[in-house]
Amino acid sequence: MNINEFIRQVKNGEIDIVKHTQKIIEQCKKINEEHNYFNTISAELALEQAKEIKKLLKSKDKSIKGKKLLGVAVSVKDSICVKNVESTAGSKILKGYEPLFNATVIEKIIGEGGIIIGKTAQDEFGFGSFSVNVGLGFKIPKNPIDKERTCGGSSGGAAGLAKAADFPHIALGESTGGSIAEPASFCDVFGLCPTYGRNSRYGLIDFGNSLDKIGPVGKTCYETALLQEVIEGYDRNDSTSLNAKNGNYNTFLKKSLKGMKIGIIKESFGEGVAPEVEKNVRKGIDKMKEEGIKAEEISLEMPIKYGLAVYYMIATSEASTNLAKYCGMRYGAIEKLEGSFNEYFTKVRSSSFGAEAKRRIIMGTFARMSGFRDAYYIKAAKVRTLIINEYKKTFKKFDALASPAVPVLPPKFSDIEKMSPLQNYMLDIMLVSPNVAGLPHLSVPVGYEKGLPVGMLLTGDHLQEGKLLQLGNVFEGN
Amino acid sequence: MKPFTSDVVIGIECHAELSAKTKLFCGCPTKGSEEPNSRTCEICLGMPGSKPVLNKKAVEFALKLCLALNCEISPELIFSRKSYFYPDMAKNYQISQYEIPLGRNGKLRLKDGKEIGITRVHMEEDPASLVHPAGLKDSQYVLVDYNRSGNPLAEIVTEPDLESADEARNFMKQLITVLNYLEIFDINSGIIKADANISIRESGYTRVEIKNITGFKEIERALSYEISRQKQEVRAGKAIHQETRSWDSERGITFSLRKKETEEDYGYIIDADLTAIDISENWLKEIKRHMPELAQDKLKKFVGMGVKKDDAEIIAADKFLAAMFEKVAEEIDPVLAAKWLRRELLRVLNYSKKELHEAEITEKHMIQLLRLVESRKITDNVASKILEKLVEKPFDVKEYVKKEKLGAVSDASELEKYCKEAIEENPKAVEDYKKGEAKALNFIVGKIMQKTKGKAAPKEVNEIVLRMIK
Repeated sequence: MNINEFIRQVKNGEIDIVKHTQKIIEQCKKINEEHNYFNTISAELALEQAKEIKKLLKSKDKSIKGKKLLGVAVSVKDSICVKNVESTAGSKILKGYEPLFNATVIEKIIGEGGIIIGKTAQDEFGFGSFSVNVGLGFKIPKNPIDKERTCGGSSGGAAGLAKAADFPHIALGESTGGSIAEPASFCDVFGLCPTYGRNSRYGLIDFGNSLDKIGPVGKTCYETALLQEVIEGYDRNDSTSLNAKNGNYNTFLKKSLKGMKIGIIKESFGEGVAPEVEKNVRKGIDKMKEEGIKAEEISLEMPIKYGLAVYYMIATSEASTNLAKYCGMRYGAIEKLEGSFNEYFTKVRSSSFGAEAKRRIIMGTFARMSGFRDAYYIKAAKVRTLIINEYKKTFKKFDALASPAVPVLPPKFSDIEKMSPLQNYMLDIMLVSPNVAGLPHLSVPVGYEKGLPVGMLLTGDHLQEGKLLQLGNVFEGN
Repeated sequence: MKPFTSDVVIGIECHAELSAKTKLFCGCPTKGSEEPNSRTCEICLGMPGSKPVLNKKAVEFALKLCLALNCEISPELIFSRKSYFYPDMAKNYQISQYEIPLGRNGKLRLKDGKEIGITRVHMEEDPASLVHPAGLKDSQYVLVDYNRSGNPLAEIVTEPDLESADEARNFMKQLITVLNYLEIFDINSGIIKADANISIRESGYTRVEIKNITGFKEIERALSYEISRQKQEVRAGKAIHQETRSWDSERGITFSLRKKETEEDYGYIIDADLTAIDISENWLKEIKRHMPELAQDKLKKFVGMGVKKDDAEIIAADKFLAAMFEKVAEEIDPVLAAKWLRRELLRVLNYSKKELHEAEITEKHMIQLLRLVESRKITDNVASKILEKLVEKPFDVKEYVKKEKLGAVSDASELEKYCKEAIEENPKAVEDYKKGEAKALNFIVGKIMQKTKGKAAPKEVNEIVLRMIK
């Protein structure tokens, strides 16, 4: 059912929202048994919200009329805090942590009548591209199209559920270096990572503070735009949130593409890119041409050459400080109190962080130690500025840039096991640079090959989410 | 840096609590309930997902300090994360400043005129406080109270310009004077702490860091101890090691915490949760406009009013005394007012162990009192006694003088009567004076004062006695 039709029926009382919510909770449990998309299903909160909506409808409360998400199920990446619902960011070290407050985006969703159905699976703290780096004791989510394969990461549970749920649902994901667009592309859904600062990060369990962005993942471009519209805006609790005008995406979705200019990133095709991927992305570009865009090949030197290195220096440096607070003292994991505080912290951290989390803490700590700091952390920050400058120059000529989201089709778990960490990181080559530059980017499903989905990445200038959704809308119902 | 030449070389790092109402990065009050962990929120507890939001008022306080210390001020305020693991740290990093401190290259002038270089002034958040239930050494566990966590601090780092424990004390005292003048530090409850780097010539200036010194009295004690300890070690043929020591105020000693082979590595990175804040010329202008006059300015002004330099210095050093002086001097001759405030008022306060801001006496009482002194309606002697009572509990001075009949006796015929009596009763003193013993005159005048209970105007008495015995 079309989401607007669903909201209309909820408002009219044609759908009993409490019964509906009970039903979808059961469906979620069933999906989860097979696919592991949820770390927690928040049945209690969802039903409580549904009852509240029913009560308001009954009392003919006027505020209900304009609610943009009335009754729509929203799943939340585990790293985004939901009050009184276990929020672990996929890590054993936060097992049992129930935040005392809602993330700002959650407040906004609840305010618009969206129903929070649970916390979705992810790589521990976002450290991965396949959701296989889940925390100790967590389950790995599986691709909704082929269970032998990954649904991508780190927002793997979000993208998987967005595809698998056959009830009205939008997922909330988070991207630090591609964690929205990559799983969206592997799961045949839309994933929008907005401009850095567009959506408040208040209540997001940090990975890399200068890189983290919360964003929507939806089965349709429209739903993706709808959730983005609900969650965006300035927040005084997040000093990095932008005081920008709202996107008003509905108007963009209706606009014609005539006269728009797309840059096709030359380096993103050719060697290392699966031919099936290239073929489908080219097809996608042709489809936009049919709608009136002009396309031109361009080269992005700095972003392609240095994006990945800059990303790993900055992201791990920031992550290693963000993860310091987890030490078994104030919340989450606790162990028997023994020895000095140093011994105790070491014991908790050794037994509760997964291997990739430890690898990134070590890398990040190294990069910011005196003697290395200038060569790594500081150098990376400088190159980051050069990357942003090159993008800004490019966007003087183009409305958006196009490339494959990921150079390969969703890999099998058995193949992932054989990859070295570096091979693994290299798959993010197209995704990290827009993230490093804080640029909005949208993954759009452009086709299937060998029964597997291919996603195209559209990258826009700062605050130009509207243009991306306008382009993406061409692929609605593809 | 030029080589050290003095016997002792000291540089200090002070942490002063800024008296902003709310914490540096959240809205929790900095003062209030002492119930442990009652003034906390997800931000000052470092809960996952929480983010800091800067308290601009605290920045203004720190900027005032930078201006008062003649610092070069950074055009941008940037915070960094200082990482280290410790149970009093909510996030296991402290939000502080690193590469670009708020202020640098400043100076503070001590009372004797010596200038102490200020390397940097920066802002940071206070950690929580640790409670050791059975004392620092013997406790099996510690309790953590986050009420203090996130309170705004200013760190002030000096150049190694201090040359004695006494000078370090003077520096701290002068710094407190400045903080107090600026109204950015609560003199009653604010905490000022210091870590000191100290070395002596005999050891070839091997640097030892002393931590945990609270207040200016303690810094003198701690450094005096440490200087003699180092000298004794060298005399006994032992080497001084580069190390960090802690001051134990109860036992009056320093003890070794850790040997320092290398500098600690805090792995500083920019705190990306806080955007860089522009410190515009306009903002600084606005702050300057609201800055009170500082001790140095006051000193100059008071001397210009004719006040003696040493009186002016002492009055200017105390914000409350200076404020009182300025008001009194509008009504009373400044030289007289200065003399009375500096000598008599401070003496009486000191005697009754009170600070001026704790006593109830106001400029109104001082003006009443000094107006009577100025017009010679009461004698100095009587005025001093009234002042003692005023400091205990203030009252209307004029009425009191009237009621207690304390007015000076200056009526010539009445004075002559007392003088005549005294001369007749003390013939020996009169003889002595005539023989050339000038002191004998004082004896006679003293007798007259006794008779009048101090109310006789001394100048007139002198004249009358001299006239009578000639």
